Amino acid sequence: MVTETTTPDITAVHASLTNVKETRGVAAFRIVNVVLLTLITVLTVYPFVNLLAKSFSSERYIAAGQVNLVPRGFNLDTLNYVVSDPMFWTNYKNTVVYTVLGTIISMALTTTYAYALSRRNLKGRGVFTGVALFTMFFSGGLIPNYILVANVLHMRNSVWAIVLPGAISVFNLLVMKSFFENFPAELEEAAALDGMTTYGVFFRIVMPLSKAVLATMTLFYAVSMWNSWFGAFLYLDKKDMFPVTVYLRNLIAAATQSAESQGAADTVQIGANIQSVTMLLTVLPIVCFYPFIQKYFVSGVMLGSVKG
Amino acid sequence: MRNIRRRTAAVATLATLALAMTACSSGGGDDDGSSAKGGGNGVTIDDAHSKGAMADYKVGTTFKATEPVDFSLMYRDHPNYPVKDDWSIFQQLKTNQNVSFKRTDIALADWDNKKALLIGAGDAPEIIPLTYPGQETQFVSGGAILPVSDYVQYMPNFEQKVKDWGLQAELDTHRQADGKYYVLPGLREVPDVQYSVVVNDDMWKKAGITTDPATWDEFAQDLTKVKAANPSIKYAFSDRWNANNQSLGAFLQYVAPNFNTSAGWGYGNTWFNTDTKKFELTGTTDAYKQLVTYAAGLVSSGDLDPEITQTDDQAIQKFVTGKSAAISGNTQEITGYRTKAPKMKMHLIVLPGGPAGSNLAAGQLTAGQMISADAAKDPHFKAMLQFIDWLYYSDEGLEFAQWGVKGETYTKDASGVRKLEPNVGWNALNPDAPKKLNTDFGFSNGVFMPASGASKDLLQSVMSPEIKDWTNAVLAKKKVLPVSPAASLNEDELEQTSLLDTQIKDAVMAGTAKFITGQTPLSDWDKYVAQIKGLGSDQLVQTYNDAYQRTQDK
Repeated sequence: MVTETTTPDITAVHASLTNVKETRGVAAFRIVNVVLLTLITVLTVYPFVNLLAKSFSSERYIAAGQVNLVPRGFNLDTLNYVVSDPMFWTNYKNTVVYTVLGTIISMALTTTYAYALSRRNLKGRGVFTGVALFTMFFSGGLIPNYILVANVLHMRNSVWAIVLPGAISVFNLLVMKSFFENFPAELEEAAALDGMTTYGVFFRIVMPLSKAVLATMTLFYAVSMWNSWFGAFLYLDKKDMFPVTVYLRNLIAAATQSAESQGAADTVQIGANIQSVTMLLTVLPIVCFYPFIQKYFVSGVMLGSVKG
Repeated sequence: MRNIRRRTAAVATLATLALAMTACSSGGGDDDGSSAKGGGNGVTIDDAHSKGAMADYKVGTTFKATEPVDFSLMYRDHPNYPVKDDWSIFQQLKTNQNVSFKRTDIALADWDNKKALLIGAGDAPEIIPLTYPGQETQFVSGGAILPVSDYVQYMPNFEQKVKDWGLQAELDTHRQADGKYYVLPGLREVPDVQYSVVVNDDMWKKAGITTDPATWDEFAQDLTKVKAANPSIKYAFSDRWNANNQSLGAFLQYVAPNFNTSAGWGYGNTWFNTDTKKFELTGTTDAYKQLVTYAAGLVSSGDLDPEITQTDDQAIQKFVTGKSAAISGNTQEITGYRTKAPKMKMHLIVLPGGPAGSNLAAGQLTAGQMISADAAKDPHFKAMLQFIDWLYYSDEGLEFAQWGVKGETYTKDASGVRKLEPNVGWNALNPDAPKKLNTDFGFSNGVFMPASGASKDLLQSVMSPEIKDWTNAVLAKKKVLPVSPAASLNEDELEQTSLLDTQIKDAVMAGTAKFITGQTPLSDWDKYVAQIKGLGSDQLVQTYNDAYQRTQDK
């Protein structure tokens, strides 16, 4: 905080913040701050509002580029149209199932792996960390991956092909590991002295005290699982198993391909309003989910990185 | 061994998926170049693989398997008509043909990538539809695709249509180095005409123009007049289809044949000069320069919007809101423009001619089927070939795939005119009907028929009178350019040229766009030619000429 005052001690700053009459520096800072943040907010919110407006507008106005913030030619037909497609709901349900199951599996594996790695007395700790780290930089490539999952593990067309490969994100693992490493050793020692086993310490001491990092990781996993489509593209052949992201992708990506590759009689003609409604419905749960978990999100990532 | 080869080939073809992977291609020899030369000496299918096949299947026979058969099918799921298990087409094929499918559903957006993945991993279903001739080349060396030319003697309808419609020469250009072809293309009786310029009638009338231009030069003059008569528009012509660094993809494609060259979407690096009997690099020929000069002239005279990187939506927006008077369109898109601007009068102009005459690009083959090599091990292999022949190549099968079932979806009167039932609609036919031929019944489905048509009669049966008249006018006026002869590159040559081909094509596209917008003056043409040569165009052309010579000598 740079101000014109000669004594920049904490009481002065505090006074200047609460005082009705602010110094010029603080006022300027506030104005810049508000303008900048408003701008960023507008930039972030505008696409959502626009999407909302398009969802309830008629195709004609969208094509003419006349829909910005308010729907024009208001109608609910598009919404009804999308909602009445049973495949949309089947895929939506799949996404929920994949996300819940995937997040549970990911969290179970990541927390236990990270906790074990954080113990300094773990034998072969370097090797186990190295194994994880290696996958962060090298991968077998697409076709070998596909052959492994589809033909060796026989997980093609099953939910496991979606939730198991990539269940552990090494980045998340490392964040969690350093969080656990900074956990006060005394606490665990005390619990051990009182007769708790390693599992007892983990489940009844460490976990309840790690809500912040757990919430953050849950959010990370859940959002990436919700948004993912590539696994489904690779390993699923049955339409009724697709997640909603593939459904959405088909509406949008297909419509933007050049007409040449399809033959004009088969040109994709999906209305911009149908795309908008589908996007809106897909993004909605995540938008609702975010605010409730956001407070952990901020403290959680910081916690992992600050050494005590 | 074959599996390994497949995987390696797939790694190479899947580079588009752009995952971190290291592609190493097999340096293996040409050991799989088979001794059997294509053409007459086909392969005989033994009894063990003829289960369910009809003994006396010939042209005119309705195919029905003698026992229920189940084929695996790679299914392209189109967002306009998402697949439903209870579609009439599936029930009909089951009842009347004894055929059912094990489907692998692939969303349209992922079609090419997933197709490559499944073929590469050796998991491809038996029938792989919607493959454009030329796309099969990348899979040939992997060994996963059947050299179908060995078996066409089991496909009487296919053979007959190729003969009747004079398509053998074009089909021959798709033979690989081993002399066989690996794709059963969709066959068209007449060339494909769909694209042209859509003009705003009122604005053109204002300029006193009531007839379509006879040449592209006249079209340019018309644009100038239209702009003068309508001061509210900034550019008379603002065009779309600029994606993937191919500016004016459609426009250049349909103008090019009239300059005796190829450009835009239709661009290919090699152009066969019928006088010298040699391949040349298309992008550096005089004809191509002439075309580029023409397009650049449109921009410099202020008739064509220099925004030739704008998105489709931007261009359409300008047209439907009356900010421009012309845009590229096709026989389907014009319906889309009309829904977006219901009050505007517009029409597709009959394609004008150019300095090289009034021509259409060669090519009457369209997307068709590949068959997986594993299908030959299916006990029902022969039945499968007969079924494919019936569905995609017989008059009866084609009519069924397009129109559905007489009495259920359509009626046909004594003179052969087909009409959809009043409660069934498709595109411009019965647009307000509660049910759709494709969405609710599964017919007129690009998976089960060549989406851009087969016989002229069938093709025109689904056209609105306006489009039919336009198509006939274009076909009557135009001459089809000859097909470039085959130059079957071998595996090594393909590998060497594929990289050259891409980089030269990219450079030509970039150069073309710069000349058109005036960013580079046309006086720099020689510099541009030198740049293309620097990228190895001579080597590319030489390889084609060598391969052509080899094919001729055979």
